[in-house]
Amino acid sequence: METVIDSHNISKVYEETAIPVHAVSEIHLHLERGEFTALVGPSGSGKTTLLNLIGGLDRPTTGYVEIGGVNITKLKDNQLIDFRLNNIGFIFQSYNLIPVLTASENIEFIMLLQGRSKSERETRVHELLRQVGIEDKHDVRPAQLSGGQQQRVAVARALASKPRFMLADEPTANLDSVAAGNLLDIMAKLNREENMTFIFSTHDARVIDRARRVITLQDGRVISDERYAQK
Amino acid sequence: MLGKIAWRNVWRRRGRSIVIICSVAIGLWAGLFVTSFYFGFAEERIRSAIEMEISHVQLHHPEFKKERDVRFTIPRTGELLKWLSTNPYVQHVSGRLTGRGMIASASGNSGIQINGVTPRDEDTLTKLASKLVEGKYFPGTRNNEILIGKKLSQKLKVKVGSKLVLTMQDKAGSIASGAFKVVGVFATKNTPYDEMNVFAARNDLAIMLGDSLAITEIALLLNSQDSVDAFVRIAKARYPALLVEGWRTVAPEMDLVISVIDQMMYIFMGIVLLAMAFGIVNTMLMAVLERTREIGMLIALGMRRSRVFAMIVLETFFLMLAGTPIGMVLAWATILYFGNHGIDISAFQETLRSFGYSDVIYPKLGLYQYGQVLILVALTAFISALLPARKALKLEPAEAIRK
Repeated sequence: METVIDSHNISKVYEETAIPVHAVSEIHLHLERGEFTALVGPSGSGKTTLLNLIGGLDRPTTGYVEIGGVNITKLKDNQLIDFRLNNIGFIFQSYNLIPVLTASENIEFIMLLQGRSKSERETRVHELLRQVGIEDKHDVRPAQLSGGQQQRVAVARALASKPRFMLADEPTANLDSVAAGNLLDIMAKLNREENMTFIFSTHDARVIDRARRVITLQDGRVISDERYAQK
Repeated sequence: MLGKIAWRNVWRRRGRSIVIICSVAIGLWAGLFVTSFYFGFAEERIRSAIEMEISHVQLHHPEFKKERDVRFTIPRTGELLKWLSTNPYVQHVSGRLTGRGMIASASGNSGIQINGVTPRDEDTLTKLASKLVEGKYFPGTRNNEILIGKKLSQKLKVKVGSKLVLTMQDKAGSIASGAFKVVGVFATKNTPYDEMNVFAARNDLAIMLGDSLAITEIALLLNSQDSVDAFVRIAKARYPALLVEGWRTVAPEMDLVISVIDQMMYIFMGIVLLAMAFGIVNTMLMAVLERTREIGMLIALGMRRSRVFAMIVLETFFLMLAGTPIGMVLAWATILYFGNHGIDISAFQETLRSFGYSDVIYPKLGLYQYGQVLILVALTAFISALLPARKALKLEPAEAIRK
């Protein structure tokens, strides 16, 4: 199996106050291509911090993260930004689409940053919109879309760069059950058909229920790491 | 796409952007109009000085200007005047016998500049006849006719028909004097000039000084003000023994007026743009703070900080440049209207004329000045963008996304 993420003894300590806060402590994590993994745990357990460290949005205080064999902890700021662009797809709880761009422009934007050609961008935008089932909304700005539709655009945007894996921080937290179900179906299909690696932080039982690996965090430490058969 | 995002971002807070765009437009309009007013003011002074006092080009004996002594006449004036009157650059020529002297009436006396002129040539050159407010322009009914300025006539308490005595040194250094009769009183837009100058027929003055051919000054109006330098070069090459000077050399204070007005434009526009810059910095800082999460997300997704910087700078440019054409067109239209109709400031006539300024101002601004202002606006936009853009650059994606 191809290793996608390898974290080596990573810890993150915030020292904004006089008392250091150990958000994540000595975590070893090994994820392989095609995994559908949920990070679970109570609020403040370190799920988001761990996702940020894996996604290169933050740097660990100790330890390092390797993605596809590249030690991203050692990358300089611009190298890290480019690495994220080309290797990681992000899905956020609040969708975080660019409000002044239409659905298709939001998806195309990532490919523009990658310097892809116009024809390639157009073809891929069309394909991604079809994949997430909102082709008819291509010319609509995020404010005119429902939460579920916005999150689908966010998934399509995350896929646009052809990433190695997708990081999703509480992707269903703001969605009703139907929208959440539809979104999970799309992600499960991508995982099944394209062998796309997903790692979620979540409280949502529906997500946990669909995951084939569930890593439980508490006080910044992994307290359990369980694998399930294909769901 | 960056440009598209920046342009659309400008319109996210429509009301706020419109206020800034209006303030840019009004600021530019006011700044450009006031500048054009000062340029018009200066131009009018220069135009009237050239027309009445200094002409485009003056020719003298090289020693003449030291003491304005009539001993230093221009040699071989016949040939010179013939060449000048047929020169394609030259529109009008007037040969003068000028010098310093005294004028005396029954009520007083005064030191003055005495101008002996050929009446027809002088009128063609300076339109002196049109400036008469009393009497006639050298009617030629008798010898020793003289025109004096209104201010001088008041000072000496004389009027048309009064007799005056002119006294000046002749070529030998002896005192020569003659009685002259006032045939006309002139009033220009320059009160000190009116107080300091009298005009008599050159022949009468020459007889008084004992040299019937004497000319100490030749004044020229050219077909175009732009050809002054070229003509001066040609005339200097042809008559190296003469002092040939363009109006900027004859009256360097006029050149100073232009450069002062030019500097005033920079200072005035600088103040206007500085005020705008504060408004824009404030607006853009607000925009960056409001969009902290969005900017953090852009960096998280893979947008380099240099592109974030460019996006904020572009946004600031758009915000400022959206108001610029409105302000410039407004200013252009206002300047065009008042440039044709003039602005009457005769309420300050007394003060203005004592400094030689006209009481009707025709605002004027060249394309060059519009270009300069455009560059200043672009520079202001860039400087205004630096602080908000720096703020955006410092955002850490993980932190910004949580906000």
